[in-house]
Amino acid sequence: MMWYESAGRDNDVAVSSRVRLARNLTDYPFGSLLNDASAKEIIERVKNVFEGVGDYTFTDYSDLEEIERKAAVEKHKVSAEFASSKKPRALIESERKQVYIMTPEEDHIRIQSILAGFSLEEALSRAREADETIDGALNVAYNDKLGYLTHCPTNLGTGMRASVMLFLPALTISGGIRALSAQLGKIGLTIRGMSGEGSSADGCLYQVSNQITLGISEEEIVSKLSKITESIIEKERNLRQKIKSADNGRFEDRVMRSYGVMMYATMIDTNEMMRLYADVRLGAALGIIDGASLSELDKMMVRGMAANLTCENKEIKTPEERDRARAELIRRILSGAE
Amino acid sequence: MLCERCKKNEATVFYKETINGKTKSYSLCAECAAEAEKAGDIETPHMDAFFSSPSIGGIDSLFGSLFSVPHYAKRALSEGNAETKKCSLCGSAFGDLVKRGKVGCPKCYEVFADELDATIREIHGTTTHTGSAPKRFKHDRELKQKIKNLEAELKEAIKDENYERAAEIRDEVKALKEKEEN
Repeated sequence: MMWYESAGRDNDVAVSSRVRLARNLTDYPFGSLLNDASAKEIIERVKNVFEGVGDYTFTDYSDLEEIERKAAVEKHKVSAEFASSKKPRALIESERKQVYIMTPEEDHIRIQSILAGFSLEEALSRAREADETIDGALNVAYNDKLGYLTHCPTNLGTGMRASVMLFLPALTISGGIRALSAQLGKIGLTIRGMSGEGSSADGCLYQVSNQITLGISEEEIVSKLSKITESIIEKERNLRQKIKSADNGRFEDRVMRSYGVMMYATMIDTNEMMRLYADVRLGAALGIIDGASLSELDKMMVRGMAANLTCENKEIKTPEERDRARAELIRRILSGAE
Repeated sequence: MLCERCKKNEATVFYKETINGKTKSYSLCAECAAEAEKAGDIETPHMDAFFSSPSIGGIDSLFGSLFSVPHYAKRALSEGNAETKKCSLCGSAFGDLVKRGKVGCPKCYEVFADELDATIREIHGTTTHTGSAPKRFKHDRELKQKIKNLEAELKEAIKDENYERAAEIRDEVKALKEKEEN
């Protein structure tokens, strides 16, 4: 199961939670200096560690078609860098634990756990479990002063990046993102739009994450990010209520129009899908729409992206065919057939 | 020792420079050192001597935005002798790290510890890890912490003139330190 296939806590605002741990082996140069032979050696060593552990499976990404690699990026399973790399590389994943291990990426091993909703503690505990499996079997690069050693000094110490993907339409509309960004910067956190600057066309999705990884423990990172996330969630909810009650039904009209397009349009491109997603998701969160659940909308958003759509419908050749397939998928999901 | 300029105050600044193989050294008081610095006779290192904007003539554009280059490394780079010290595992010189904006391998963090210190501090505001550790280091960390705690206890015991307890703790610390060395 993937994060977009289940409903998590506080998912009216928090879409998903992720914890990533960067790890390296002592005897090899870091990612960009790694030759193919060493990369293969590392893959083999990490693969052996997870052989027979839980439901972990192994996929050689060097063999995978480009469209499948891109689809994995859209699902947030792997990084764009990993997907487009020319080097030998593999993904070791546990579907049950929702843990994805890229090897090698920029660092030799990147463990990530992504869960639905607001669930940072659980994501940390699952990523840690995989980390402990590696720790027992391989010599991980670490020094007492700097902690886990990483290719980029920005990841030193814990090697950990924790993030929450937040759906913030009300903060976007009210222009509050910039102020939020400035505030977060002061306390070692950062916010970025999932696809460029925050216009409503990008689905109003943002990622808030820790910037500092050294001199702070894993638990402290999670607790700091959680506290801030809670206050962002509260702020977003308050603003939504204000928007809902303030504009004499115009907001409700906009939501219902978008819902109508989703239900009946026959061709929808990615930009339009994201715009509709934002409107209808907000409508569903506020109880204006009851025909679409939040997790159905998230599923629609991921599976409706270009690479995923093409993977599911191999016969697609033209952009028009893709837009038609997207409209069909959206209708199927909304009617409960998917 | 008295300041060699004014010969009145106690010397607190000791300065040594090597230019073209000739070494000069001064022992100065704070006042005379400040004057000498103003006059350009000496150049004393300051806390802010670490350059925050990495720009070294000629190779500016190649620099990763991440790396701030300490002034001594900067001089070495501009004189072209940054290639002298190389990492034994990946073969990188410090200049390569700067050009790349990333560190070459785990060993580089030992080899270029001094050079990287300023950059790491700038990014994280500290250079000391406080999070979790691999198993093989966990034991060491716990041992170190235990010794630290006992040493604090020892100080207390001595302060309280509890010499019997102090002797016990001292033996315990000694045993743990031997264990640590092994």
